[in-house]
Amino acid sequence: MHMEQRQTPAQGPACAIGHSPGVRVHCPVGKGPEAVVSDPDRRRVFVACSRDNAVTALDLDRAVPVWRAGVGREPIPIVLDKPTERLFTADARSDTVSVLDAGTGDRVAQIPVGAYPAGLGHDPGRRRLFVGNTAGGTITVVDTDRLTVQGTVPAEPGAGSIAVVPGSGRGYCANFLAGSVTVFDADTLQPLGRIAVREGPCKVVADPAARHLYVANSLHGTISRVSLDSDAVLDEVPVERAPVGMCVDAAGRRLYVCNRGAGTVSVLDTGSGRESHRIVVGNAPGDCALDPVTGTLVVSNAGSGTLTFVDRPWLPAGPAPRTEHPLVGQPLPDFELPDLRGGRIRTTREWAEKRYVINFFASW
Amino acid sequence: MARSGLDVIMINVWENAAPQVEAADFAAVWDIGATVLLDTTGGYAARLGIRGVPTNVLVDDHGIVRMVGGTTPAELDAAVRNLLAED
Repeated sequence: MHMEQRQTPAQGPACAIGHSPGVRVHCPVGKGPEAVVSDPDRRRVFVACSRDNAVTALDLDRAVPVWRAGVGREPIPIVLDKPTERLFTADARSDTVSVLDAGTGDRVAQIPVGAYPAGLGHDPGRRRLFVGNTAGGTITVVDTDRLTVQGTVPAEPGAGSIAVVPGSGRGYCANFLAGSVTVFDADTLQPLGRIAVREGPCKVVADPAARHLYVANSLHGTISRVSLDSDAVLDEVPVERAPVGMCVDAAGRRLYVCNRGAGTVSVLDTGSGRESHRIVVGNAPGDCALDPVTGTLVVSNAGSGTLTFVDRPWLPAGPAPRTEHPLVGQPLPDFELPDLRGGRIRTTREWAEKRYVINFFASW
Repeated sequence: MARSGLDVIMINVWENAAPQVEAADFAAVWDIGATVLLDTTGGYAARLGIRGVPTNVLVDDHGIVRMVGGTTPAELDAAVRNLLAED
């Protein structure tokens, strides 16, 4: 397993070979890689590098960077519009959507949207992009051809990830801070209703084949399965810590869930709602995408600054994952770390004979 | 947490850029009064085999790790209750 922080692809070393079952390679892509999208026709994969304010394009087969393009500040989600061969990122700290030529990375436009846009949804048939304004609690609607704003849909605090079901034209927006999903009409842009889910819904994925909507409840450690026919919550499937990213195969058979808190991908059988196995990837994985041609799963690891390419991710391989962390029952290794406030070095000795909890966190 | 006799130490990792600034902003936005330490290289997280965030590590008064993981309120509550019930 390749763990350490790597440099940007321009300066960085070659990809490291994976040592976990199915893991072909870990490829350095830049700082804070978040959403990832594949283009199977042109054999590309694109990743939004949130802490580099850039998008990196890679060759899907060779897993090497092809180009890199600057966008606005803190791009998190990314969408590929095939009819125009353009990429859309939402730049959370610039309150913009950046539009890039997917072939070259050239900047096409930068469109002002709402406050802290951290999620996107795409409706290629209706030629619309939906932008979840997380601080604004609204959805901005962008015309993907004219690159103009068409309207706004009210949502709730923490509006982010959005999925649109092509047939029904119903849109679903995860509201991270409200623990809900806003349902809206992608044609009329009218709100249709609200689905209560669990804490911290971070990503929604529509699965028209299985007639399900999946909602990743990041602070609850579960995936809600919602009926696309009735909008009723069918059940909640436990996964690992902090599920934040997901993708589903075209047949609607398997759902891949990135557990940001555990460094793993959970593989769920969509029919039974059971987790079949887990794949160990890099640190703090945030999103994943499938290459429908080869079946390869590409996972972005925000903590490692890498993409992990997993071949045949549907195959359970290797030993069953440990249920208990190896450190449990062992003495805590000593630390000597600077305090954020003032920079003084603090050590484990200060907490000797105390009970305490250490919370590892990142601002993203 | 303070009431129940449990200290909280927050350790910032994998910030990628300007960890001090990002961690300070985060602490201000979420009104975090707990101790915040910076593991800027990720070296301490790696020594503990931490692969994701958030991850909680519960340590008893003998310095022994009692739990790794547990970030949902229910999991953390249960683990902390068990530890504090040992008085």
